[in-house]
Amino acid sequence: MRITKHPVLDIPEGKSVSFTFDGQTLVGQDGEMVSSALFANGIRTFSIHTVGDAPQGLFCANGQCAQCTVIIDGLPVKSCITPLRAGMEIKTLVHHPELPPDDKWRPANKPEELSCQVLIVGAGPSGITAAIELADRGFSVILVDDKDHLGGKLVLQTHKFFGSMADCYAGTRGTDIARILEQEARSRENITIMSGSTVAGIYADGKAGVYQDRLEKYVHVSFEGLIVATGARERSLIFPGNDLPGVFGAGAFQTLVNRDLVKSSERVLIVGCGNVGLIGAYHALQAGIEVVGLLDIAPRVTGYKVHADKIKRMGVPIYLNHTLIGVQGQGKVEEATIAQVDAQWNPLVETAKTFAVDTVLIAVGLSSADEFYHSGLAGGFPVLKTGDAGEIAEASSAMIGGRIVGREMAALLGHDISVPKEWFEKAEILKSHPGKVFERSYALPAEGGWEPMIHCYQEIPCNPCTTVCPHDSIHLTDETGTIMDLPEFGGKCIGCGLCVLICPGLAITLVRKSKTDGLAELILPHEFDHDFQQGDVVRLRDPEGLNLGDGTIIATRYNKKHRTHLITLEVPADLATRAVGILVQPEEVTKPLPEADFTYLPDNAVVCRCERVTVGEIRDFIQQNDVTDMNQLKLVRVAMGACGGKTCLDLVPRVLMQAGVKREDIHPATHRPLTVEVPMKALANQGGGQG
Amino acid sequence: MKTYDAVVIGAGSVGVPLAYRLAVRGLQVAVVEKLASVGQGQNKAAIGGIRATHSDRAKIKVGNASLHVIRRLLPDYGQDVDYIEGGYLFPAYSEEIAQGLKKLLPMQKSFGLDIDWIEAGEVRKRCPGILEDGLLGGTFSPEDGHLSSLKLAGAFHRLAAAEGVDFLFNTTVLGFEVEKGKVSAVLTDQGQITCSYVVNAAGGYGRDISLMVGTDLPVYPDSHEAGVTEPVQRFFLPMLVDIAPDEQSDNYYFYQNAEGQIVFCITPRPKRMGTDRRSTSEFLPMVIPRMLNLYPRLRNLKVRRVWRGLYPMTPDGKPIVGFDQDVQGFFHAIGMCGQGLMLGPGLADMIALAIAEGQEDEEVFADLSPYRDFSGDELLK
Repeated sequence: MRITKHPVLDIPEGKSVSFTFDGQTLVGQDGEMVSSALFANGIRTFSIHTVGDAPQGLFCANGQCAQCTVIIDGLPVKSCITPLRAGMEIKTLVHHPELPPDDKWRPANKPEELSCQVLIVGAGPSGITAAIELADRGFSVILVDDKDHLGGKLVLQTHKFFGSMADCYAGTRGTDIARILEQEARSRENITIMSGSTVAGIYADGKAGVYQDRLEKYVHVSFEGLIVATGARERSLIFPGNDLPGVFGAGAFQTLVNRDLVKSSERVLIVGCGNVGLIGAYHALQAGIEVVGLLDIAPRVTGYKVHADKIKRMGVPIYLNHTLIGVQGQGKVEEATIAQVDAQWNPLVETAKTFAVDTVLIAVGLSSADEFYHSGLAGGFPVLKTGDAGEIAEASSAMIGGRIVGREMAALLGHDISVPKEWFEKAEILKSHPGKVFERSYALPAEGGWEPMIHCYQEIPCNPCTTVCPHDSIHLTDETGTIMDLPEFGGKCIGCGLCVLICPGLAITLVRKSKTDGLAELILPHEFDHDFQQGDVVRLRDPEGLNLGDGTIIATRYNKKHRTHLITLEVPADLATRAVGILVQPEEVTKPLPEADFTYLPDNAVVCRCERVTVGEIRDFIQQNDVTDMNQLKLVRVAMGACGGKTCLDLVPRVLMQAGVKREDIHPATHRPLTVEVPMKALANQGGGQG
Repeated sequence: MKTYDAVVIGAGSVGVPLAYRLAVRGLQVAVVEKLASVGQGQNKAAIGGIRATHSDRAKIKVGNASLHVIRRLLPDYGQDVDYIEGGYLFPAYSEEIAQGLKKLLPMQKSFGLDIDWIEAGEVRKRCPGILEDGLLGGTFSPEDGHLSSLKLAGAFHRLAAAEGVDFLFNTTVLGFEVEKGKVSAVLTDQGQITCSYVVNAAGGYGRDISLMVGTDLPVYPDSHEAGVTEPVQRFFLPMLVDIAPDEQSDNYYFYQNAEGQIVFCITPRPKRMGTDRRSTSEFLPMVIPRMLNLYPRLRNLKVRRVWRGLYPMTPDGKPIVGFDQDVQGFFHAIGMCGQGLMLGPGLADMIALAIAEGQEDEEVFADLSPYRDFSGDELLK
């Protein structure tokens, strides 16, 4: 299934091409990733694992793991980074592939040798801003990124950003920020951009090995300084059924839905109530995908309250103090069961609820992808890390963080360049966790004029509403004296709606008294396609998603620039100051099955996905062999697979501790190049790439 | 700390099997290892080749002893170390190489090795897809093989632990106590360990340990880089060794392991001396073109991981094995020249016998003596 209508994203006209999958002729779009073409055709099983003949599906959709490997024209390749071409013969990978008897001798060529002053790995928000900062100070920069489009994960973010307009494009959608940053980088002559290029290793002799998969090339880049802006990886979670096709990361989901416009799922359950999970739910609803709920083992939402409120208003329940105790189905996700946890986070199976879903999204946080930083330290050359590779935070802070690190690198390389002190302060504020929550009261404006109701209750680094008001009538309180403070209205309102349109939290409405007594007019922002007609009655929701009652549509407008609808309603006067949104998803969608349906087999949960090693096997091995060194687990093949432990090594310490090993006794696993697998024909530059 | 009969320094390819053999012979044994677990030094860097096909009588004897032990690990001890007896194959694409290999055969056969010249067709049958152009044949020794180095260390670790051997990890040796010419204790950063015997099996750092008792042995590590690919269905069994040098390197070798992965390694020229184990950018562009020249079919195979390990070399390419002449109870088992994996299991038996029973295999111990004349040179290193 494809997304044919989206409230925020344009649906480009693709060129249809046909290909075969296991002999069946299918249609996809020329140049889209093979994984997306398969999803669009309802195919979710990409391979059959050697261990247990288990079906495997897409997991990261980011070229980092290898779960999406399929056979294309005889060779195993990662489908999530391989563009679809007409006539491709695609097959399910069953066990280990056969190496085709391609026995013709071909000449080999040495890697092309490039050099620069500063190599920046990763062209997301921090990498690009670092590159710009350095380029503007005369440095030669090579900016390497594994994707075709720059912007990192910004290209997946359809929502408006927080922060301030002056520093980080607050109120602008991530996809648009990505385009702006890419143009900025491309307009600078001394930035050489290598897109579609993956750094396979940072070597001790001061060179990076860069793999260009489409060109089948391997290039060396020498550098004086290295900036690691490689972002983060999604953390995984240990639960039974976690390797069924249909369990994947929220980032993978955003890639399928927001970048490739594939309707990956019908109904999803989301694990994790940080910003990634909350935004994932919102993106799902915008793509017409049902969300049965979000859950988190923590007792509170860790993401921004405005994000949580937004999705609650749309009709998505949030289950706190809950964990996932099992995902099951015949070869794919069909059901997911959650249960409440006790104070020790043990599931109370008697509280189990089972939902019929086809997808479980894992959004349990990110971990910095900073291996190259450590390679840089080991190599002894000037190296800095920035963005999520340095510290997990919002893209808004990554942009200022990149600029800081750009200047710091200039200084490290011996130039008399310093970082303005206020940049550090801004960066600190932008990476702030959400702060205090305040109670606020609202009253209808006395006279016939408009007034904004600002339903912003929690300190977060965000202030675009104060910037856009043409009468400068919105100001921050001076609780902390930073952009963490809450905005409040005071002054003149002409009802222009700019504050309503810019607010990333969709937390501002406009109200005025109606001519009819006891009624009021209310203008709400709405980011969903709708077919509201004048006179339609809709269900109004309070800031946290409680049903308030009904309102009647008076008018609708669409603001093209902000790609946001403004809905004007007539509502009972007592609801006008409390109503912030309209229910989008019917309540029936979120109901669990009448009876919980699960077998609780916690030991079957997979830790190392590549080699399909379960938590039970690992714990037994740890206990039988007194393991404290994570490297010993290679004996049961943990981290020996294609991804090199990118997902499992983050989980293993937890397993060791559950097996009785003290945290301080755990010895970390050794990281070695290569970051991604590289075919020998590319390492030997034999030619034959397709560009 | 406890008192032991013997303390083995180094939980690697030599130390772990040796600790097991000493324990089997009734000794109370501790293994002291500065790293966090077994096999984390050069053991796991070894690509896994196991052969008796050397060109030195003592090494052949030790190699055969190792093979004997390894073959029994699964049937007799239930320890699967992924051993595959696929043989070693040295292909020849020039008359010079062919003659060189053939010239070794009479000597190798005289030592009782099963090795012979095979024709080009036979080489291609054993290695489908190997370059046909100019292939003259090669020597093949079917009784050699390959295994997982980490699994071998793991197997002996389990066996040793079951025999009561204590493994002291994250423990660095600082020196020794010698009383009246006899070793009496090992001094470590975790305290002192009283013992009657010490075996130096410290691999790449063996010279440093021997120097602590005042004996300077000529062990100087150089380093080789290695790599491993993704797994594919089995298509060849032997360890392939190409000894024809090019401008940057001497021999290189590779095989397909039990998982189906190709494991490969090259000898750079000039040698890279020292103990630096960080990967360099030179390795892949050096080894991959050579592998593809020999075996074009590998081109579609993806390289997964690379690493670098030490070859603790001696001047004549042979290990240094024997008691110290000045410090009683101190035994040297170092300088394995990158062959600790294939020599360790065999040596373990011989060293345990020497320590526990005072019996030494005269031929082996004379040939590998710490006090030998180091000016000889082995033909087939």
